[in-house]
Amino acid sequence: MKSSHEKFAPWLTLLARLALGGVLLVAGGLKVSKPTESANATAAYKILPTDLAHLAGYALPWLEVVIGLLLIFGIMVRYAAVAGGLIMIVFIGAIISVWARGMVIDCGCFGGGGVLDPSLAASARRTYLIEILRDLGLALCALYLYFFPSGKLGIEKTSSEEQ
Amino acid sequence: MAKPQVKARDNTNRWIIIAMAVLVVATGVIFSMLGQSNKENAALAGLDGTKLKPAVVSTIDVENGSAITYNSGLATVIDIWEDPQCPVCKNFENAIGEYVNSLVREKKATVRFHVLSFLGDESVRAANAGFCAADEGQYLDFNTALYKVQSPLENSGFWSGETLISIGKKIGITSSKFANCVTKGSNVALVQANAESMAKFGVRGTPTIFINGKVWEREISDFNLIEFRAAVEGA
Repeated sequence: MKSSHEKFAPWLTLLARLALGGVLLVAGGLKVSKPTESANATAAYKILPTDLAHLAGYALPWLEVVIGLLLIFGIMVRYAAVAGGLIMIVFIGAIISVWARGMVIDCGCFGGGGVLDPSLAASARRTYLIEILRDLGLALCALYLYFFPSGKLGIEKTSSEEQ
Repeated sequence: MAKPQVKARDNTNRWIIIAMAVLVVATGVIFSMLGQSNKENAALAGLDGTKLKPAVVSTIDVENGSAITYNSGLATVIDIWEDPQCPVCKNFENAIGEYVNSLVREKKATVRFHVLSFLGDESVRAANAGFCAADEGQYLDFNTALYKVQSPLENSGFWSGETLISIGKKIGITSSKFANCVTKGSNVALVQANAESMAKFGVRGTPTIFINGKVWEREISDFNLIEFRAAVEGA
């Protein structure tokens, strides 16, 4: 059992890196060119004070792109995975909070965002669940990468083996 | 001997990568913020040279949600429910606002402006300023100007009392009464009355437009002047 995992671990690591990194890169990439939309989207969660929410909305797309690129290229995988995992946990918490408060918003995960028409409440709740499950899966990728950061096709080979 | 050397170099690389990542994110944030305030200031500067049209006296229709009301008692009645920060309301204003203003000025319809403020503090401030402009008989022009400079970022801090007064000044509302009214929030009670009347009239979002008491359901997804005019003239 253990030896078979050892054999596949580098490939699983590559897969986890591409999944988490790919989603982060796409999500961030779609938002970097629309900072205002992103800032409006974070404010729509009504968790942070408006000014801080705007700041987070400006920073998030760039943060996602940077972490995504590090994971895809395989640089500082363990650190990038911790950062990516923490972001996913924040996202999950934010969506649960919105859901619990009965708000109907677009998460703005891949651009867009903002308050939705209240008549869409039922479909919004379904979407919240899907988003939470998706982010949970990505958080698990991050967890795996924390324990097995060295994989195939990574630039930083030697250092990750030393970790 | 070789191994510790490699490790030391790797640590340096690590810090370089972390520093560069922070730099990228910080640069992104700074440029986003600058871009935002540049856009807002450019829009404000765009109001320079606006000529104020003649004043039109409005009333406050307490029975109908304390709306700003023009030409009370005509056969055609248009109710416009909007929030000054709502981007879709800006689309409505761009396509149809001028026509609505002409209906008011030519006394062809009763028009009631219900100024809502559910999008946050800056909506409350802007709505209050709208009522202050109405006190001067200048709601139409002030409302047009508000949408011209509407920030795409809600509650960005742009619509401070100071900016709202300067919007007034730029279009020709220069009285100190207006400035005081904006600063003191003299009409906040009216803003609140408008907000509270939403439920009574079954308004859930903005913009909502009623023509003779019936919600205008548009068939063209973008606001279309010809469609709207036909709806008003057929009413």
